Amino acid sequence: MQPSRGQPLPAPTNNAVYHTYRSDLSQVRALVLRQARQAGLTEGRANDLVLAVSEVAANTLRHTRSPGTLAIWHDEDEIVCEIRDAGTITDPSVGRRKPPPGASGGHGLWLVRQVCDLVELTSDASGTTVRMHMTLRQPRAAG
Amino acid sequence: MDLLTTSVATVESGSEPYTLVELVGEADVTNSDALREVLDAEVAKRPRTLIIDLSGLRFMDSSALHVILRANRAMDRQGGVVALASPREPVAKMLRLTAADQLIPVYASVSDASAG
Repeated sequence: MQPSRGQPLPAPTNNAVYHTYRSDLSQVRALVLRQARQAGLTEGRANDLVLAVSEVAANTLRHTRSPGTLAIWHDEDEIVCEIRDAGTITDPSVGRRKPPPGASGGHGLWLVRQVCDLVELTSDASGTTVRMHMTLRQPRAAG
Repeated sequence: MDLLTTSVATVESGSEPYTLVELVGEADVTNSDALREVLDAEVAKRPRTLIIDLSGLRFMDSSALHVILRANRAMDRQGGVVALASPREPVAKMLRLTAADQLIPVYASVSDASAG
């Protein structure tokens, strides 16, 4: 999940659902859960995706003063949740190492990496985009 | 309705009373300060055992986890014990992934937790 620079991610597909949030993460979670179930994710993996999106959206509230945008889309193969906000992630190793048990921070992005099948992160002075992918076919063994 | 409601009771059980904090709803970054205040107030009363009932908790994020870990450290320093009771699967999984369940014992029920 090293932030890449100068390589914009491809645009979301046309059927994406968009939601802007300022403070209500419960709405964000409810939307992700609904879309994940509709797309056919198992309940456990739907809840994994809810946790991941909520952790990234929580960073918007912690680190920026502006709203964030959630986009959700899926095709036959995967469901993707994208969070965009005005924050900047400068530490390229963020979320890559497991925080020691009892650490008083650093679990958020680490959890995101644990529960998602693929995480893409781009960040520069204009903002941060995090895309969380969950495969719909070939479900993994529950973790 | 509040996203997270907390209720606190002192339970007289057998030899020793314990403090029971029940969390209902969703615990996230938007209410972790309030949760911290509730737990800090109970820790300050220096109970021997503080049991947090998670059975009504639909969601918990890392902010809420950090508040619980903080309470656990404070209790540990003053010779007390924190126990977690009956987390639902999404919360239980989060406790496993962060290895918080290795620091704070997790029990299937409040009565199991109070029996230690």
